[in-house]
Amino acid sequence: MFNIPKPKPEDLIRKTFARFTDEEIIPRAREMDEANQFPRWMFEKVATTGAFGIRYPKSVGGAGGTTTQFCVIVEELARGSMSVAAFTAMQCLMGTNFLFEYGTPDQHERLLKPAIRGEKVASFALTEADAATDLGGVKTMARPDGDSWIINGSKTWITNAPVADFYTVLCQTDKSKGLKGLNFFLIERGTPGLYVSKKFDKLGTRATEISELAFTDVRIPFENRLGREGAGVGNLLRILAVIRVMTAALSIGLARAAYDHSKRYALERFQFGKRIGSFQLVQQKIANMATDIWASELMTYKTCEMIDRGERALKEASMAKYFASEVACRASDEATRIFGAYSYSMEYDVQRFYRDCRFLLFGGGTSEILQTIISRECGVF
Amino acid sequence: MDIVVLVKQVPNTTEVRIDPKTGNLIREGVESIINPEDRHALEAALQIRDNTGGKVTVLSMGPPQAIDGICEALAMGADRGILLSDRIFAGADTWATSTTLGRAIRKIEQFDLVLAGRQAVDGDTAQIGPQVAEYLGIPQLTYVQKLEVREGAVIAERALEDGCEHIEAPTPVLVTVLSSLNEPRYPTVAGLIDSTRPRAPIEIWNGADLGVKAYEVGLAGSLTQVVKTFTPKGARNTQYLEGSPAAVAAQLIDALRKKEIRLGE
Repeated sequence: MFNIPKPKPEDLIRKTFARFTDEEIIPRAREMDEANQFPRWMFEKVATTGAFGIRYPKSVGGAGGTTTQFCVIVEELARGSMSVAAFTAMQCLMGTNFLFEYGTPDQHERLLKPAIRGEKVASFALTEADAATDLGGVKTMARPDGDSWIINGSKTWITNAPVADFYTVLCQTDKSKGLKGLNFFLIERGTPGLYVSKKFDKLGTRATEISELAFTDVRIPFENRLGREGAGVGNLLRILAVIRVMTAALSIGLARAAYDHSKRYALERFQFGKRIGSFQLVQQKIANMATDIWASELMTYKTCEMIDRGERALKEASMAKYFASEVACRASDEATRIFGAYSYSMEYDVQRFYRDCRFLLFGGGTSEILQTIISRECGVF
Repeated sequence: MDIVVLVKQVPNTTEVRIDPKTGNLIREGVESIINPEDRHALEAALQIRDNTGGKVTVLSMGPPQAIDGICEALAMGADRGILLSDRIFAGADTWATSTTLGRAIRKIEQFDLVLAGRQAVDGDTAQIGPQVAEYLGIPQLTYVQKLEVREGAVIAERALEDGCEHIEAPTPVLVTVLSSLNEPRYPTVAGLIDSTRPRAPIEIWNGADLGVKAYEVGLAGSLTQVVKTFTPKGARNTQYLEGSPAAVAAQLIDALRKKEIRLGE
């Protein structure tokens, strides 16, 4: 018996999720978008691959994977449907991270493990009407009352909120402490005083449901504070680089979809008796898309490697997210120009890419705030 | 029930192009995948094992990179993977391949069932399963679309051109399956990561491990040799028939008769 080098796990994961996307998602992506509702059947199908546990150890039913592997998964899913990729990212990262890090064994059994198996949907509530980029503006209050917390306030733009079984919610416990008074709390669906608004009607990612949450004297057990007192923002910063690089990976997936469709169309569409791909201005668009995607991939996966080595990569992740999300928007825009009037028809997928790419601009920091952060990281502020 | 599943790595045929000059498949840059029907064979094996216990061993013959398929099969749930890889196996036709696979199954010793896809999408011969069964001297059930396992026997529904037949065979038995048998699961992420670890249950066997002579396997052990591959020219001579439906039908029948095409009794 002799040895043969084994393949790299990220290569096998990419191959598997590329096939999953081609076979399961792409044939149904338009239908899911048009249905404008959370496709629970697809959520459960993704769960069968074990993707929701990619970042967590086997002790909670996870796979013990890396940030690189996580990003490969969401990139491939985003190539088929940004909605599917978005709810997968929420389930793998923001919706479950603080429950995993700071939850009790009982909470792990009742909520985390079922979430990894795809039996419960997770959500993450940060944004408020007056607190988005500026977390210091969070007004949702949690006050201790005996062995409980009482929560009052509201959240908005909460991904998965209409269908979620539990929420990780950022609340203020002591206004005088500003950012150091912020903490995450675990609130389960069905808790008295928790209201979920009707879902928003939105431009893109229409198979992901988003709504508001309102809390009126919501009483939760004391152990539902996830993390030690005042550590909320610090704990969020610990995964901020992962959130940003993951958004960069989602962006690559969408940009690749726009590129693939553009390339195919440029080779099959004839005008003036020639393929439109033979015209230099179309070639320029294809060349720029391919170059942008290559640059995004290098930035994103180099940053993933840094995170996997345990390095601080906030600057690099911010750059990758800023660059790749703008690339996704540029690529979707160029795709609509290559398709001409057909991109204006709901029968072609490029209109979906054009709508979905806007989703990438906000989560994990807008391009505008990211430029400020990058400049600050460069020492200019 | 202990099951051996035969798995082949094939080029992803949705991407395959043929070199117009040489007539050969252009394999450069073409991704390799597990032969689609073999996934259904593996799924059947996993379901049987989950219901009745036992062990699923995946067996493949191919170049070193065929290990990817073994890893995927482990990530779907197989217990053990064996890759038959050796320069002396190269260039094998279906006879030499069946001989090699058969020797490996004998070396595995303990098996009740051998499962395989009906045929591989690159060669489309459907010969490996039946030839392996002949080599092992066990019954074979081919084109199976339903499969049930009993104590010491399997009952299969075989697809025929104009219907189907139900057949029972004692174990050990070899079964080749159609894609209508089941819906294969996807490999799990945890399984994929584990399959690449040093302690993953993957064995590589070469000619010496099987105790085969170079002239029994590979190109030297093949009974057939590919002289030439080419793409048939699709030139057609189209004739348009005109007139009333009855007149067109009469012309069509005459034309077919002239070409000596039998029109039935």
